[in-house]
Amino acid sequence: MRKPALIFIVLTLALLKTSAQDFPYGKVDNDALNLTKYAKDTSAHAVIIDEYGTSRIGFDNDYRILITYVRHEKIKFFDNKDFESEGTIIEGLYNRNETSYEEMSDIKAITYFKDDNGNIQHVELDQSKIFRTRETKHESTVKFALPALRSGCVVEFSYKISTPYLFGFKGWEFQTSIPKIKSVYEVHIPGFWEYNAALAGPLKLSFNTAKVERACLTYGGGGGIASGASADCSDIVYGMNDVPAFVEEDYMTSDKNFKSAIIYQLVQETDLQSGVKTKYTKDWKDIDNLLKEESLFGSQLKRTSLFKDRLGPVLAGKTDEMEKGKAVYNYIKNTIKWNEHDSPFSADGIKQALESHTGNSGDVNLALVTALNAAGIHTEAVLLSTRINGVVNKLYPDINSFNYVIAKATIGGQSYLLDATEPLLPFGMLPLRCLNDQGRVFSLDKPSYWIDMATPQREKTTYAIDLTLQDDGKLKGTLSRFSVGYSAYLKRKEIKKFNSIDEYFEHVSGETHGIKFTKSNVSTTDSLDNPVAETYEVEINPTDKMVNNRIGFSPFLIEQLKTNPFKLARRDYPVDWGMPSEDRYIITVHLPAQYTLENAPQPLSYGLPNQGGNFQTDFTTDGSTLTFSYITRINHSVYSTEEYPYLKELFNKIILAEKNELVFKKK
Amino acid sequence: MIKTKILIGLLLLTCTSAWAQTNYDASLIPKDLLRYASAVIRNEEITTEVKELDNVSYHVKRVITVLNPNGDNIAHMAIYYDKSIAIKYIKGIAINEFGKVIAKFSERDFEDVSTAGNSDLFEEYRVKHYIPSITQYPYTIDYEYETKNKQSLSLDNWYPAPENGLAIEKSSYQMICSPDFNLRFKQFNLPAKVTIGKNKEGIKTYMWQIAHLLARKDESFSLDGRHTLPALVFAPEKFSFYGYTGTFQDWSQFGKWMYDNLLKNRTSLPDETVQYIKSITADIQDTKLKAKKVYEYMQQKTHYISIQIGIGGWQPFLASDVDKVGYGDCKALVNYTQALLKVAGVDSWYCVVYGDHYQKRSLLSDFANLEGNHVILCLPLKNDTTWLECTSQEIPFGYLGDFTDDRNALACTPEGGKLLHTPKYTTEQNLVTRKADFTLNETGDLTGEIATTFKGVDYEDREEIVGKAQADRLKDFKWYYPINNIEIKTLNYKQDKSLDPTTFENVKLAAREYGAITDGKFYFSLNSVDRISTGYKQSNNRTNPVTINHGHTYNDSVTYTLPAGYRLDSEPLNVTINKPFGNFTASLTIKDNQLVYLRKLQIKDGSYDKETYGDIVDFYNSIVDADNYNVILIKK
Repeated sequence: MRKPALIFIVLTLALLKTSAQDFPYGKVDNDALNLTKYAKDTSAHAVIIDEYGTSRIGFDNDYRILITYVRHEKIKFFDNKDFESEGTIIEGLYNRNETSYEEMSDIKAITYFKDDNGNIQHVELDQSKIFRTRETKHESTVKFALPALRSGCVVEFSYKISTPYLFGFKGWEFQTSIPKIKSVYEVHIPGFWEYNAALAGPLKLSFNTAKVERACLTYGGGGGIASGASADCSDIVYGMNDVPAFVEEDYMTSDKNFKSAIIYQLVQETDLQSGVKTKYTKDWKDIDNLLKEESLFGSQLKRTSLFKDRLGPVLAGKTDEMEKGKAVYNYIKNTIKWNEHDSPFSADGIKQALESHTGNSGDVNLALVTALNAAGIHTEAVLLSTRINGVVNKLYPDINSFNYVIAKATIGGQSYLLDATEPLLPFGMLPLRCLNDQGRVFSLDKPSYWIDMATPQREKTTYAIDLTLQDDGKLKGTLSRFSVGYSAYLKRKEIKKFNSIDEYFEHVSGETHGIKFTKSNVSTTDSLDNPVAETYEVEINPTDKMVNNRIGFSPFLIEQLKTNPFKLARRDYPVDWGMPSEDRYIITVHLPAQYTLENAPQPLSYGLPNQGGNFQTDFTTDGSTLTFSYITRINHSVYSTEEYPYLKELFNKIILAEKNELVFKKK
Repeated sequence: MIKTKILIGLLLLTCTSAWAQTNYDASLIPKDLLRYASAVIRNEEITTEVKELDNVSYHVKRVITVLNPNGDNIAHMAIYYDKSIAIKYIKGIAINEFGKVIAKFSERDFEDVSTAGNSDLFEEYRVKHYIPSITQYPYTIDYEYETKNKQSLSLDNWYPAPENGLAIEKSSYQMICSPDFNLRFKQFNLPAKVTIGKNKEGIKTYMWQIAHLLARKDESFSLDGRHTLPALVFAPEKFSFYGYTGTFQDWSQFGKWMYDNLLKNRTSLPDETVQYIKSITADIQDTKLKAKKVYEYMQQKTHYISIQIGIGGWQPFLASDVDKVGYGDCKALVNYTQALLKVAGVDSWYCVVYGDHYQKRSLLSDFANLEGNHVILCLPLKNDTTWLECTSQEIPFGYLGDFTDDRNALACTPEGGKLLHTPKYTTEQNLVTRKADFTLNETGDLTGEIATTFKGVDYEDREEIVGKAQADRLKDFKWYYPINNIEIKTLNYKQDKSLDPTTFENVKLAAREYGAITDGKFYFSLNSVDRISTGYKQSNNRTNPVTINHGHTYNDSVTYTLPAGYRLDSEPLNVTINKPFGNFTASLTIKDNQLVYLRKLQIKDGSYDKETYGDIVDFYNSIVDADNYNVILIKK
């Protein structure tokens, strides 16, 4: 089981006559006010009693498309603990320009509570206490705090958001951080438009109905479709009862992969002027064509001429393809600084990014793809979804689930995945954020296809510690750390946080309790492809533990675990590390003639099922030199909930082993 | 004759291109300034000109070299504004390592965003910010901007090196004041005194300069920047502020102005609330108990929401508004509580203070000015001054905690401002007492319970977990105690919210394989209840004196009932350390099959010289060693 447990279900529906309805606004029943606990989750501080959302596509007065979304919710607060997290409502709105923008209106809220005499009182939201803030050029927020909250109150609120953007059709989160008794979402979609719906998360719908409303929307504007043309609507209701609160776990990927929600994607639109149908996402072929024509994607990939002059000096004298590839990769890394925004598309075109030396991940990596192609290296773009963005929806072609793009270069029959956003990444390695599920490979001349984002890269660290026990009971020697693969990248990043190697050494010197670092030799200046090697002269002073001529010495000198990183008895979601790892420690101790080793540790070995990894210790001695080594291997990126207990036990075994000591005895 | 011509030529050149005059080649930075530096201010010239009380211009010219990517954030330009501040212009250039201009920028390039985060309901402040994108280090940006400020109460103070990692080649601040404007100022850690003069229009000028300041890095146990870094703080005598005017020279006058202009007449309440408060307090004779009743009513009726609006964020909402909506920021909730108390016949004072858990930031005793970031309420009861934090629904009556204890507060009263000092929680009062009873069986499994009480500022140590649902508590609790394989049987929290509040934590637990058995020896960690696992780093070049903000006392007593037939194989633990800043004792004794572990740690608040830091490092290293002690038992 390597894939996260994301479940997408195709929603196929029986056509029914019945339809759910919004619950009436402005009514509260005594039972809700008297409720002191939610029986299904007695430790909940609040519960959503009822929640109803609806999205309806229609027209505004000028027959422009307008999607109206209404959210209506009734929430019970048992005590005051969730006032901060649930008591303030925030919605983000987008505006393209002064004539095309999203709008929030009809905001209302009522708080009901019982006064000291047991009478029901209510307080309504004051319209002057709704705050609208222009956050950035295209984004604004609307915020309001639910009025007069107090322990035991029931609050009802509702608001409307209108959007002119067909792509902005809102989905619905059935599951959030507090439990819900009932949650319903209803959509009205006229036949002019077609959307795909997908249900994410492991929970099932409690009810789901669909009916057709005849001639529900009539077009009154002019154009190819005769004025008066009307469409039938699909009226679909999705409902869940008794939705538990979502509880996050450590070492999991995006909670989006596991929270129950419904998402929509535009498939087809009918142009009301011409009557022409535009398919958006029927199949991958349509998407491929769309991307190819997209001005901020496909068009950018065609701009190889931008690089003709720029690459001249970069490629001068290079004949080997690999050499060329690396040179172009470094050129892009040094020319466009990633602005930490993720996007599969260029923001304003790669020319702009090259000139302003900055851009989002789309700018950086589309420039990379184009530059590599310009250098004669066959390179494709790979659309993907970062770990934080959740796994890709594979139920149907869905371009909206991608939020990032990287390059796939083919050199000497071998393919290399490249991301030029991180200056310290070596050629062929990806940052952790990209290691998520699958990516879709796109090129100008071939149909797109899926690839696994799992790469051979791993985190690997080796410590070699060589110590000599001194007459005075001190241990002196060297400590070397080799950071290999992804670990080398992380180590380089860590070192870069310091202004100089000297400052980094100051940091390292205080890092490990009980070890005195006296001298250092750190090499980072060489190629990013190489491991980072650090060597320190160290001194360990266990003298104050000398008792009856015996010295106890723990060979677990650095990075002791002490407690298990996994605390839960069982998990609901898989553990996802992103990539495999390996940590190896080799400790050699040279004993002077007057010392002997009193106890020889027993070698240990613990393995995970399915070659998932292991922990192993080893010990050898010839009397005067002893070598103790231990290794922890995590071979998979993802461990299922069934494998979890074994993984937890592996760490428990490490902690038990850490308690052992070597005892040296003075003759 | 020829010489004169050349000079004129040079002058003309400087006039036409102000930017070409200085060589900002990065290699010209003095080498000793590079230590710990990610960025260096090559030259900074700030000029504040008070033209009129409602017309203050602020002009900044800054040249900063960024040495590596860590310096990007330091050099990031951010210009804050609200409705009283207009940005006149921003312009600048970027220069490469060798002093060559590589880019130009202006206000157009700056992104304009709100400063409010998701946790703020509203903020009037906005910021324009930008950093040119340059991939080759070092690079230099040379820019200037000017703002026009319509108020003169909050003048721009000067913190020449506000951040770690920033060195200064040279920097200056000039203040130009119209003849009728009397400036007050206070300088901290500035090497040179002010130079007072007149400019060519005959207007009074003040000038401060600083040069060759080395970059600093974080130092543990240090006071906040104003005590250790160069700073210059200003205050006017006469001022204009969002349409209000005033005059002050001391805290008394300033507090009076605050009261008269921003606070007075904001406490009226709807009649029902007045009647209700009267009814619930009518039967209480004692003033303090009356206040407690009113305070608890306020707590259950309101909650805190950050909202910065009106009069530069200094005026509270009307009490009647809070009464209706049930929320407010610190100002609004203090004002509301004051209004409720007034109805009950209890006098109280609105007090401005700095709230900070980690630093005891204090209003300046001898320099009245607009400062502070928080508001609390003071009850001037006879011989029993009581303080109320009004932004928490959970905090006990009369409790401040480490957020506002032991520091100056300005009480704004009708009679004038009074600078008061909030009470201090002492080393002995900040007490954590822990008693654990454990049983270890033959196979190393552990069962037992831990009972802990938290007092003083430590009363709030468990505030976060106390506020969570039980399911989340069970998950989070495991992080408090480093007991491997911990399995919680029961977990309870109780809080006594009396005037000497206490938090109680009781847990029953089990842990499989807590001890390891190999070769007939039984190994286990002695201290899994209160372990310090990392000490502090030794530092060779410490610059700040040592300050311990809060003292604490931790008393732990742990009893292990051991499996029969074992004796101790390791040397018994027995550590005693006494230092001026703290004491530590740890001991282990075995009688029959009872192992008793006693640990007491006391850290004393106070100021110590910078050499003490080395002793603190040694002190903590010894504690880490002692806390790491591994018990080794062997069969008798």
